[in-house]
Amino acid sequence: MGSASDVATVDGEEISRQEYEQALRNQQENLRNMLGENFDASLLDNPQMRTAVLENLIQQKLLRHEAGQVGLAVLDSRLTAEIQNIALFHEDDKFSYERYRELLQRQGMSPAMFEARLAGDLMRQQLLEGITGSVIVSKTVADKIASLSETKYEINRASINPEQYINQAVPDETVIQSYYDSHRQDFTLPERVRIEYVVLSLEELAKQEQISDEEIKKYFDEHQDEFGQAEERRASHILLTVPVDATEEQKAAIKAKAEQILEQVKQDPDEFPELAKELSEDPGSAKVGGDLGFFARGLMVKAFEDAAFEMQPGEIRGLVETPFGFHIIRLAAVKDVDVAKFDEVKEGIRQTLQRQKAADRFGELSEDFSNIVYEQSDTLQPVAQMFNLPVQQSDWIDRNSKEPSVVANERMLQAIFSESAIRDHYNTEAIEVAPDTFVSARVLEHHPASAQSLGLVKDKIIELLKQQIAAETTEEEGKQKLAKLQAGEADDSLEWGEPVEISYTQKRGGDEEILHALFQTDVEKLPAYTGIKTNKGSFDLIRINQVKVPATESESSQYTLLINQLQQVHGQEELNAYLAGLRQRYEVKIKPVEESD
Amino acid sequence: MSAYDFEEQEKIDRLKAWWSANGATLLLTIVVFAAAVVGTRLWNHYKGEQAQQAADLYTVLQQQVEKGSELVKITDAAQLLTQGFPESGYASRAALIAAHSAVQAGNNQSARDMLQWVLDHTEEPEVKDLARIRLANVLVDEGKYDQVLSLLNAQHGASFTGLYADLRGDALAASGKTDEARAAYQKALDSLDTQGAYRNVVQMKLDVLREHQ
Repeated sequence: MGSASDVATVDGEEISRQEYEQALRNQQENLRNMLGENFDASLLDNPQMRTAVLENLIQQKLLRHEAGQVGLAVLDSRLTAEIQNIALFHEDDKFSYERYRELLQRQGMSPAMFEARLAGDLMRQQLLEGITGSVIVSKTVADKIASLSETKYEINRASINPEQYINQAVPDETVIQSYYDSHRQDFTLPERVRIEYVVLSLEELAKQEQISDEEIKKYFDEHQDEFGQAEERRASHILLTVPVDATEEQKAAIKAKAEQILEQVKQDPDEFPELAKELSEDPGSAKVGGDLGFFARGLMVKAFEDAAFEMQPGEIRGLVETPFGFHIIRLAAVKDVDVAKFDEVKEGIRQTLQRQKAADRFGELSEDFSNIVYEQSDTLQPVAQMFNLPVQQSDWIDRNSKEPSVVANERMLQAIFSESAIRDHYNTEAIEVAPDTFVSARVLEHHPASAQSLGLVKDKIIELLKQQIAAETTEEEGKQKLAKLQAGEADDSLEWGEPVEISYTQKRGGDEEILHALFQTDVEKLPAYTGIKTNKGSFDLIRINQVKVPATESESSQYTLLINQLQQVHGQEELNAYLAGLRQRYEVKIKPVEESD
Repeated sequence: MSAYDFEEQEKIDRLKAWWSANGATLLLTIVVFAAAVVGTRLWNHYKGEQAQQAADLYTVLQQQVEKGSELVKITDAAQLLTQGFPESGYASRAALIAAHSAVQAGNNQSARDMLQWVLDHTEEPEVKDLARIRLANVLVDEGKYDQVLSLLNAQHGASFTGLYADLRGDALAASGKTDEARAAYQKALDSLDTQGAYRNVVQMKLDVLREHQ
């Protein structure tokens, strides 16, 4: 209601709601392409995604605005060159203006609109490329990073695992009680409901549409071109043309002459080619005895076609009047349609027709659906009966449930957990959870959020505490052993693994935390020792046997590659700072988003 | 290809000659026009023309860079913009690009001059902040750590805090002030984009400083 026409302003320039909606649709399309079957329309129904799309629009506007402010311009020659380079507009490897116009028209755009948009893109590009393409990183730092990245540590690891301490860990009662008291929230069951629901979807309605075999045949006949080979017929004709400005008398005379020829042909059909050659005023076919060859529907004038497709092979018919004049037609042959083909496509046609029929009425039906669940708000039966849809029931669900999938939609769950749905057991409004899919639900049973007593969760707590204690013991033990190793004492209880080589350039997943520890370790005297708490819960002791620091060769290709990478990541950070700076400098106003339902 | 080279070089030479002959007169004319209210439309027209000319020159510069031309050609092309259209965004960008090329060619003096020009002339605050970062990087290599630190003390946009702290760390680390360098890198980590890849680089530099505790 009364939604303003713009969603934000950037230094006074508006971003229209239309632009924003279009951007959301584009984003949705991208996601659909990226995720395929996993695509879920509710991905877009979350505020973060909407904010991200809007921020992106704002950024584009800002950059375009700034480019104008600092006096950038797009040369006509550049614009022309860019357009002519777009392969989509090429025909025979050359830019085709026709194709350009046509493709744009299909997108509902004029060349001027497209050119303005492209010019905007080029302006933004010019604003940024000079900045991102000119990064300078000092050689001092580059050399250091190159050397650190290439530094190879040869290490052994020995893990101290918490499992061995689990059984010794016995938490006492007071600890259990205080854990329960301070984690009460974790042991609360969320508010849950069991619901019944009805889904009205175009898909389902289509299945219910009755389509007769006649309708299918009719569609098949009228859309022959969609099903491969269409029926073709071969005919000959003799034409006597009637001039456009002929008088009635002239026309009658021509007709009389034509009838005379028709008599002649009927008496002696074999004479047809000869007569056609002699008398037909269709010069093209006259030469070959009136033969027109095979043709399908849609190629001849209507009256001619109707006649030709009604006749039997060998039959002679006349006079057939068309805008050209009077025809005498002889049907030579019929090339039949492949009947098997009809059976092959029959089901496909049925579905197409079902979908068409359902789609025609869907707007109206979904409105009825919405009205009925609202008017008879304490039952879903009427709407289920009216549309012949099942009333389905769910298991217990909470606000974060992912099943059943038609209900796992932010707006739907909000409606289900609303006061009127829970307290009064009213139907929820009909919500479009996906394109052409409406759902209304009704709460059957409700469990408020409830705390679980200590008795119920005690075992779980003990298990948690045991693990906690074991983890603490592991770390303590590990640190003690590490201290001893660092002091030069041997420890026979440790089982060292095979030596491995590790460096930033060859790092694998999980190596990052080890590398941090290695770099922080003093390796003046080898072997050196360090230790880390891993994310798997163990404490790993690390023995450094060898450190290979490469000599920096600033000529090597490896070095160049590394410097390029470094410049790139530095450039990315610079770009972020630049963009954030623009965003802070200009006044950007975002209108609060109104729920559009 | 060689024909193109010649054409571009000629274009540059021609524009240079034109500028030295007409530049001053033109400036004078502009001032007169701009002062008069009736001149506003002409002024706008003139601005549009200027933008087009600057864009044209900028294209020439980009082509020189793409081709890997000698530094002097790139610098010449950039100077046409810095001298002819100092207020244009193209001039600042041209200078940044020329500075980058200069560093690659090992000509720090030229790089410093270009970056200093940006600092003195650009009207884009973010570009000024960037130019300072790049100048500081050149100075680090020249061992002028005090200059780096005082350069980085200048007021800058909030979004540049992380990068400035990082560079301060570089200068401090290079001059042996390990504790201060560590604090600077830590500050950088606290302000840099948490998703960005660059923070890993900073983390690396910080880690290795602990080695000498």
